[in-house]
Amino acid sequence: MTAVARLEGVGFVYPDGTRALAGVALELREGERVGIVGQNGSGKSTLVRQLNGLLRPTEGRVTLFGRDTAGVHVAELARTVGLAFQNPDRQIFAASVRSEVAFGARNLGRRGAELDRAVQAALEAVGLEGEAATNPYDLGYSRRKLLALASILAMETPVVVLDEPTTGQDARGVERIQRIVGSLGETGRTVITISHDMRFVAESFQRVIVMRAGRVILDGPPVTVFAAEHAGALASTFLEAPLAARLGERLGLGTTPSESALLDALAAR
Amino acid sequence: MSEAIVVNAVNDAPPTPALLLDGVRYGYAGTRRWVLDGVNLEVAAGRVLGIVGPNEAGKSTLCLVAAGLAPAAIGGRLEGDVLLGGLSTRDANPHQMAQRAGILFQNPVTQLSATAPTVYEEVAFGPRNLGLAVDEIADRVEHALGALRIEALGPRDPMRLSGGQAQLVALASVVALRPPVLVLDEPTSQLDPAGTRLVGEALAGLAAATATAIVVVEHKTWLLADLADACALVADGRVVVHGATADVLADDRLVELGVEPPPAVRLRRAAAVRGVALDSAVVDAVAAARLAADPDTVEPVP
Amino acid sequence: MRGWSGPLGMLAIVLAIALAARLGRAMRPYLLATLPLVISILLVNTFLYPGATDRILTLGPVSATWTGLAEALQATARVVAFALSVALLALTTAIDDLLDDLEHRGLGRRTIFVIGSAIRTVPRMIERAGEIVDAQRARGLDTEGSVWRRARGVVPLAGPMVLSALSEVEERTMALEARAFSAPGRRTTLRPLPDRPAERALRWGLFLAAVVLVGLSVSGRFPLP
Repeated sequence: MTAVARLEGVGFVYPDGTRALAGVALELREGERVGIVGQNGSGKSTLVRQLNGLLRPTEGRVTLFGRDTAGVHVAELARTVGLAFQNPDRQIFAASVRSEVAFGARNLGRRGAELDRAVQAALEAVGLEGEAATNPYDLGYSRRKLLALASILAMETPVVVLDEPTTGQDARGVERIQRIVGSLGETGRTVITISHDMRFVAESFQRVIVMRAGRVILDGPPVTVFAAEHAGALASTFLEAPLAARLGERLGLGTTPSESALLDALAAR
Repeated sequence: MSEAIVVNAVNDAPPTPALLLDGVRYGYAGTRRWVLDGVNLEVAAGRVLGIVGPNEAGKSTLCLVAAGLAPAAIGGRLEGDVLLGGLSTRDANPHQMAQRAGILFQNPVTQLSATAPTVYEEVAFGPRNLGLAVDEIADRVEHALGALRIEALGPRDPMRLSGGQAQLVALASVVALRPPVLVLDEPTSQLDPAGTRLVGEALAGLAAATATAIVVVEHKTWLLADLADACALVADGRVVVHGATADVLADDRLVELGVEPPPAVRLRRAAAVRGVALDSAVVDAVAAARLAADPDTVEPVP
Repeated sequence: MRGWSGPLGMLAIVLAIALAARLGRAMRPYLLATLPLVISILLVNTFLYPGATDRILTLGPVSATWTGLAEALQATARVVAFALSVALLALTTAIDDLLDDLEHRGLGRRTIFVIGSAIRTVPRMIERAGEIVDAQRARGLDTEGSVWRRARGVVPLAGPMVLSALSEVEERTMALEARAFSAPGRRTTLRPLPDRPAERALRWGLFLAAVVLVGLSVSGRFPLP
């Protein structure tokens, strides 16, 4: 698979001297679904901001499709990387749901029928197609969050980064986000998601990156990262494998990070 | 904690619940819709009631009504009775309510007064408003910070905290008022798993040590499974199911209404659907196994 | 012409205090901040002072006059003296202590709250503005390009700032009520400020001096600016 983004020896120190990243080396591939987990303050948000140039590495370098991002404007990098922030209220300004969703795509130069199609597809993905004319602030927080997500989807970037998309969502909202992540992966786009929800990560992502104190301490498929042998490393940053994985180990079924893997293993026994 | 905290508005007959909602309907000012439409709930001193429900079911409104802020502070139409320690919220001033019920909003940033140069003084804001003695304030602030293990944040600027830290500080600032009833709207939404567990332990400790009645709205049902004595499933402004936590969280209507059940319930349900045998006792034992990590093992970045 | 004694006297006092408090360097930015105003005062008064005829030199349609120059220098001295007194207050007084003490002396808690939160909220606002800029840049808003391109970003940047502030007002109000903000009686002062007799005497002395000076000035005996 093609390398979409590559981080080489990336370190980052904030202007106040706080180190947030140290020696991060990663290669993110086309169509890959990557979940990033770790405690608050472990460097997850700082890491994803290196991808679209909102923060620039103070050591090492970041390349997108082989091109060094140094010196490239954020507005230009936004053609490749769409980043949905945690708090939707830091971006919503438009008078209608439709124009809010169109904002990013418009900035990338889409117009007319192409823009309408992208906006409509994004609205349908998050289930807000019936609210196109609604004022965003008349939606509750959980739906404003889906609106912010739609505005990134409409940009149709090859890389989509989601910072804690499931907070404040009920089970239906989480399922919807799982479907969106799945279909993005199917169309060959790379999805990177920060989350605290281990079940969501184990079920929806092919690759899990665990961060602690600015470093990547584990990187692999859920079946490896959530295996019993790594329980200590996870615990060192106050995380634990999802229940299905722990139960599988307990029942001697090997590592079964997702519910379906556990049930398959049980059925096969 | 000192004796003074146990002072509870409930000092007459034992059956008086700390919080009682009786046939409550509520609609915001300027609207015609009933956001709460016939809610009956009660919480006894020292008990924890978990509230679950789909998005936009009326949970946040329920918090405002239970804490006496709606209608006292924001108007609106209230039918039925909301009693805090036997006193109807209709008859009291907002500041009287503040001593009977503390509330934590979803967004911790709006909760901070923005007048204090340090977290310590931010937490002292409420007690100072009550005109308490300096020693008493110091005692309350230190207990509140200690209960949430954020003593180290004491000297920090409250305007320069992360979302998770702000959430813990906002919670401490409510706890410092030592209200007999505590209403919390998604107190862990910005916290990582470790922070969430910490809040759960602090709340359980608070309920046990100070007989505080706690109402907590949570999406993380696994937290309620450990913490809550009872749960209520709310949808469309009504209480759909109300009962012991284990029963409510295992109720089919939870899933039907779009609420994520705790992992153990989910797995058992999925196994039943697939027709695979799964020993419930083992599931519960594994789910209940505590994370055994030493808080001091996290190494700093070299 | 209004006289030199006022502004120069004030300047001398402020500078003496600043030097004694070793604040000379810290006051430099305040001095720089007056520069645009000072330059325009110098130019306008020197060249355009109405009715002055004592020319120094003529540049096309306008002439510089001695009267104008003297007036300009006086006005400059007044502006600088004023700016430096403000700087002195800002640099020597902890705003929290000032507010605490004013409250202790009976200023209403609402007034204190409004002043205090306005000052304290500044870093939060700056941080929030930064988050908004980041969120819109991540959606392709060009904030690094030409002035024209950047000007188009005003609404997407100002919008969330205003909208989120508005949507938070009600919650903020409720949060204050829930923390007993409207409770009757006096709030507790956490850090009573020490007030030594000498400080007290000095304050009263300065207050009396101000009254006397204003009196003299108003009566026309000792005209101050």
